Amino acid sequence: MSAIFPKWTNWLPLALGAVVAVVGGVVTAGVAAYVTPRHTRVGYEPVQPVPFSHKIHAGQMGLDCRYCHNGVEKSSFANLPGASTCMNCHNQVLKDDPLLAVVRDSAATGKPIAWVQIHKMPDYVYFNHSVHVTRGISCVECHGRIDQMDEVSQAKPLSMSFCLDCHRDPAAYIRPTAQVTHLDWQWSTNAAAADAMQAANGAKMVHDWKVESLQSCSACHR
Amino acid sequence: MNNPLNQPTPPVTGRRYWRSLDELADTAEFKDWLQREFPAGASELEDGVTRRHFMRIMSASFLLAGVGIMGAGCRRPEAKLEPFGKQPENYTFGEAQYFATAMPTRDGAVPLVAKSYEGRPVKVEGNAEFPGSNGSTDRYAQASILDVYDPDRSKRFKHNGDTVTPEAGLAFLSQLSKAAAANGGQGLAFLTDRSTSPSRRRLQLVISTKFPNAKWFAYEPIDSDIHQRAATQAIRSLIETRTASPVRPVYHFDKAKVIVSLGSDFLGSEDDVHNHIRRYVQGRKPETGAMSRLYVIESLFTLTGAGADHRLRVSPSQMAIRARALYDLLQSPSGAIKTSNGDAVSAWIAECALDLAANKENALVVAGQSQPLEVHLLAHAINSVLGAIGNTVTLHPVPRSEAGTIQQLAESLNAGSVNTLVILGGNPVYNAPADLNWAVTQRKAKTVVRLGYYEDETFAQTDWHFPATHYLESWGDAITSDGTLVPVQPLIQPLFGGLNELEFLARIAGETQTSAHDIVRTTFGGTEAAWKKFLFNGYQPDSATAPVNPSFNGTVPVVPPPLAAANLEVIFYRDAKVDDGRFANNGWMQELPDPVTKITWDNAVLLSRKTARELGVANGDLVEITLNGRTVTGPIWTQPGMADNTLGLALGYGRTAAGRVGKGVGFNAYALFTGSYLATGATLKKTGETYVIATTQHHWSMEGRPIVREANWDEFKKHPKFAEEMHGVEAPIVKSLYPNPLDEAKKTALHQWGMSIDLTACVGCGTCVVACQSENNIPIVGKDQVSRGREMHWMRIDRYYTADPAKETLADSFQKDDEQQFAEWIDDVQAVNQPMLCQ
Repeated sequence: MSAIFPKWTNWLPLALGAVVAVVGGVVTAGVAAYVTPRHTRVGYEPVQPVPFSHKIHAGQMGLDCRYCHNGVEKSSFANLPGASTCMNCHNQVLKDDPLLAVVRDSAATGKPIAWVQIHKMPDYVYFNHSVHVTRGISCVECHGRIDQMDEVSQAKPLSMSFCLDCHRDPAAYIRPTAQVTHLDWQWSTNAAAADAMQAANGAKMVHDWKVESLQSCSACHR
Repeated sequence: MNNPLNQPTPPVTGRRYWRSLDELADTAEFKDWLQREFPAGASELEDGVTRRHFMRIMSASFLLAGVGIMGAGCRRPEAKLEPFGKQPENYTFGEAQYFATAMPTRDGAVPLVAKSYEGRPVKVEGNAEFPGSNGSTDRYAQASILDVYDPDRSKRFKHNGDTVTPEAGLAFLSQLSKAAAANGGQGLAFLTDRSTSPSRRRLQLVISTKFPNAKWFAYEPIDSDIHQRAATQAIRSLIETRTASPVRPVYHFDKAKVIVSLGSDFLGSEDDVHNHIRRYVQGRKPETGAMSRLYVIESLFTLTGAGADHRLRVSPSQMAIRARALYDLLQSPSGAIKTSNGDAVSAWIAECALDLAANKENALVVAGQSQPLEVHLLAHAINSVLGAIGNTVTLHPVPRSEAGTIQQLAESLNAGSVNTLVILGGNPVYNAPADLNWAVTQRKAKTVVRLGYYEDETFAQTDWHFPATHYLESWGDAITSDGTLVPVQPLIQPLFGGLNELEFLARIAGETQTSAHDIVRTTFGGTEAAWKKFLFNGYQPDSATAPVNPSFNGTVPVVPPPLAAANLEVIFYRDAKVDDGRFANNGWMQELPDPVTKITWDNAVLLSRKTARELGVANGDLVEITLNGRTVTGPIWTQPGMADNTLGLALGYGRTAAGRVGKGVGFNAYALFTGSYLATGATLKKTGETYVIATTQHHWSMEGRPIVREANWDEFKKHPKFAEEMHGVEAPIVKSLYPNPLDEAKKTALHQWGMSIDLTACVGCGTCVVACQSENNIPIVGKDQVSRGREMHWMRIDRYYTADPAKETLADSFQKDDEQQFAEWIDDVQAVNQPMLCQ
């Protein structure tokens, strides 16, 4: 019987297999590295219905985070302020500015402003804001330098490994509760001294306040 | 090595504890059940959906999901956050809010504090501020929260079965009101359930004044009103004053040193059980050095009888005779009571009488809701002879209620004198006495209007249906058993646009003030500050009525001679879970094991071991019960401790239009019910078929471990630490191969949670099981899975029967033949309840 296929086709399956393996390996590695929260979530900066600038309000004006996000120390959910909170100042400041028309309308009629949520935990995760804020974890640890953002973007991946990095070593991230909303606060301007003070004071605070940074599965996956 | 666990177990001495007769006989089935942690078939879902089948049918969906993720579904969906426009005061999103309210019951209310998240009520707790309640609730209050979210509840206004707009329904009501105003309410009849609401009473008076020809009738299948009727009659007949205001008795079990229950399940199925349990337990604290003594005479085996110190089981027809015997003994001069002559029953009664006589005003005799009027009057007579009235039982005046009975309404309907029948709540087509043939009788009214929570059996026979609101969605008020006024405050707007009962009545009355809030506010009167305080506290202080103190000197009722026990006697009782049937669609209630029988998702024909032997029936046999020409079919369940020759039938099952959960569960005992809870002359016939009953009582047995540890008062005085001393062979402590790092951390950890339960106080009511299910959102699994041992409750109440070991004789050792012959000594049992947490 004469050969139907030329001889070089003998190597075809092996070559195909090798190519598929290589390409598959590259794709898998790429996905494993890049289709992760660190790359897919960080930098998420959706367009909001009102061009609210944290840089002006929290940065330049120096408003404390808790003035608007007032439930953050009491509730598991850090609330967004109602339009009536905005009107506390804006019934005098920029009171006819067209950019604030949506806010004025919401405060007058009660119709809520549809903000786009940026920092979202999956439904299978339980996260309680008040526990973290009242125990010395600053806003900046998870939300980055919000006070320098004109539009809020997600600064940290908020993945499970991100949470565990702190939960496994709370002393490296904890700070005095009075400094929680001072996003640019440091122990010292000298980096080495700051590290040393964080280590020493952090350990002391974790011990004194009996901080139990839970690492069991059911702490978050309830 | 000498492993103590491998030694043969020493022979059993002293009291034995057993869960069921199968366990006691150590039958092959029981052993089989015990060996496997889960019985056959438990790890497979045998309802047709195997894992392989699931993968097969879902494969296309999985593919689509995968494509969706990589393709169009890559982009993160935008989630919106919508804060308030106008922020309310004192409200933090994510934090719970608590409001005081109350659950209205037939003859009172349970004061509650309801927890709400984001405007949705999620949990019901007792109101600890209410004086003397200690924040207690009962099973029904805990389970009632689920009914708010029941998808089968009535959501629409309906006319002749077709949905109409709410405006059309309300227009009909105002039309009805005008027609009634024109002829003074001629032909208008109301059939209501019972309620203590002062606002409802005020509106009823308005209607009666505006429409003097309108007639009022009240019907409750479980009639708690008998306590009030009996106490009122006792006063009126015994103090020559026919016009004395009606009174209701309030029992102070905490003050009683001796309590005698005449068929009264005050720890289980009587109304106001949350108060009774708490007061009873307050009188039984061994640490304080005093414990009351409880004597129970009953036919069923109830929670009260289970925990009794002395129990006498009598068939229902004998109760009145025993009560009269007790009274007669107490009338005789002290010292003349002899306990030695006569049979065991007379000796028991005599001992009881001696104890009562020794304690005089600190004694208390209570009669049960199912008992006939004579027994109640005898109880009042005995209490008055002892001087207990005013001490352990106080009589509080209540407003007069002139409603007629459902039998009288049936007469009016049959006579054709009812044009419009308005039904408030209830479910008469399902639970009216069987001899009234209510489904047909109700239709004899030209128009039937109903305010109902479900589109149930009665819905099929109504012309206009109005959806009712739940008490957690309603404004209202109620009066608790001691006369205190409590508010019913809504926690959420009516979820499906239902109509409040007060608004319904106000519209029929043609009132301009139809908002339920305004009606309740008007009834309350008072200043704004007082009203706000009333709503905040959840009760009105000092509104309890003062007891009256009559002196009794009249005649005692004559007890009719007992009926010949030629046939079986029947006792109808309020089910511990579905009440009179109203909770049939509540999955938590259906799955809650009955506190005594531990049966779920069913009712059964209860009878004693001896009667079962005589009739030749065993657990699960389907039998036909015939009473006065009516028949019902149900499965047999042998109940240790029950009176002989008696059948126990739970009311509230066998519903045909309850909703997806309750439909077709159990059998309908109302088919035999004609208004009296005790009946004689029943016959039983085997059908030859069997029926699977899902009971949890075999699950998790002790198997020789010292779990239940019990001692009586004398032993406790000698060995206060008897429970610690009663440990069995303990396993040797072996060091773990893997030391858990968290165990080290625990030593310095901040919080350690623990929960301890006073087992002397636990009566086994099961409220904690429903509360745990409510708090933790535990799902139900259904009858099939419960029968495979897979019930999901996080805690359970193990109920162990135990009989007096002194009565056991060697010759009485049971034989393990097919018919499970047992000895007589196990017929008189007690039960010990052991709550087990976080199983």
